Amino acid sequence: MLLAHGVGGRQDLPIPFSAALTGAILALLVSFVVLGALWTEPRLGGALGRTRPLSALIQGAVSAPAWLWIWRLLGLVIAAYLCVGLLFGPDRAENPTAGAFYVLFWVGLVPLSLLFGPVWRNLNPLRTLHLLACMALRRDPEQGLRRLPAGLGYWPAAAGIFAFVWLELVAPDRATLRVIGIWLAAYAVIMLAGAVVFGSRWFDRGDAFESYSILVGGLAPVVRRRDGLLAWRNSLDGMAGLERAPGLTVLVVVLLGSTMYDSFSNAPIWVRFIQESSVPAPVMGTAGLVAVIGLVLAAYLGTTSLAGRWGGTEPGTTAGELAHSIVPIAVGYVIAHYYTLLLLEGQHTLALLSDPLDTGANWLGTADWTISTAGNTPAGIAMLQVTVIVIGHVLGTVLAHDRALALFPRRTAVIGQIPLLVLMVVYTVVGLLLLFAA
Amino acid sequence: MTSPLARYRPLLAALMLGMGLLTATSACGSSSAATPVTTAVKEIAVTIAGHEVTPPPGRVEVTEGQKVRITVTSDVADVAHVHGYDKAANLRPNTPATIEFVADQSGLFEVETHESNLQLCQLMVR
Repeated sequence: MLLAHGVGGRQDLPIPFSAALTGAILALLVSFVVLGALWTEPRLGGALGRTRPLSALIQGAVSAPAWLWIWRLLGLVIAAYLCVGLLFGPDRAENPTAGAFYVLFWVGLVPLSLLFGPVWRNLNPLRTLHLLACMALRRDPEQGLRRLPAGLGYWPAAAGIFAFVWLELVAPDRATLRVIGIWLAAYAVIMLAGAVVFGSRWFDRGDAFESYSILVGGLAPVVRRRDGLLAWRNSLDGMAGLERAPGLTVLVVVLLGSTMYDSFSNAPIWVRFIQESSVPAPVMGTAGLVAVIGLVLAAYLGTTSLAGRWGGTEPGTTAGELAHSIVPIAVGYVIAHYYTLLLLEGQHTLALLSDPLDTGANWLGTADWTISTAGNTPAGIAMLQVTVIVIGHVLGTVLAHDRALALFPRRTAVIGQIPLLVLMVVYTVVGLLLLFAA
Repeated sequence: MTSPLARYRPLLAALMLGMGLLTATSACGSSSAATPVTTAVKEIAVTIAGHEVTPPPGRVEVTEGQKVRITVTSDVADVAHVHGYDKAANLRPNTPATIEFVADQSGLFEVETHESNLQLCQLMVR
């Protein structure tokens, strides 16, 4: 992502081609050989299949009623603090709002969810506001005016994520307070209206950021079980246990496709194409974003339906059943793409956050921070990028393989997976080529 | 109860092998740790006429530590800006303006105009 004034000025150097190619070929080998030979039974159960509770001390802390309120209030306080810069700060590069929104919040949500699970559910200030309003009115927050239609599924979240990535990657003047403010205000109004109509369950799959946090949090090593205990679990079990609902496929594909567009839109060939075209840049950008997401979706739907046919399962079910396997690929790609942005721009934003009104204040004591690369060299960064992409790909292949063993009859399980493996490899090679070339 | 790790031992072994191979191969490709001393100034000249950038935007290789001099001639008033380094120059119609700095930070940086929102080039500093 490259925003006007300030945010994301530096971008990573393209990865050396040899490393990218080796990574892709390795991913291919690992997927085909290891899984085909050694993993012959579905092993990944539901989210709570094999878990090991954490120590009693931690259980005591997390089951205390204050625990949830600490995070809810923290979410509110942080949101209120960010509103200071958004509403009253000057619209200059020294304003921390754009960095806080696009880098600390959006990119930072990924490592937080990856480590601790769907954290945004507790931090979400809109959910807390709704809860507080319901408490003041002595209403049950889960009770809305209407029942949440089951067919809605993840569709509102998919639309919300698309609206966000469009803002982040295409919208004109997207780093200005006016544009960010309008977007956030519209988002808050829609989310709160949804909560009033459908009750607080609306946030579960209606809120784009909660859904994002749920998807990524599926890979977290910890889970809160239904009995309230916090337990260690296998990340793959967590991901395989992701609840299926309408719109999940599109939500996951929008995440992967938009990150790919972000890389692609930086390639000189696309820059030239946009600048030499007579069509306004935001129109071209929107078309490009939709086209890349559309291509990722078409490849996914095409291969999963082929897999379903070859594997001999009910038509039309494979896409939704396998959507969770795209999540680690998307997460790997997001980490590869935004790691240095979070590292460098994150520090810069934390320094700016001490002085949201640009008056020379140092409220948080971070104003004098100088940005440190924390020992990251260009070669090390490239290595990390290839590594996380390969890990994401391998995890995705394992998840797809395991689900295919459960979906397809044994006779056709292997042949049914061939289109899926080809899809994974294509996604990886495209991802690496984008990091390499764009 | 079998340890969850034991179940995935084949996968872990394969992953480790993969990572090992990857380290080995990428180590060969990136032996540019020694910084060569470059004294020549990197000259970049860009002309903007009728919303068209000449030469068309592309990538310019710069060695880390090298001095860069970007000369921009625009037919309209504007501001040219180097992202990341945050160097800017005011452009007056048909008057060349220069931005000069030492590229002391590695990465990919865009050079662009603020009013017309045109990308002039990308500096690849390594």
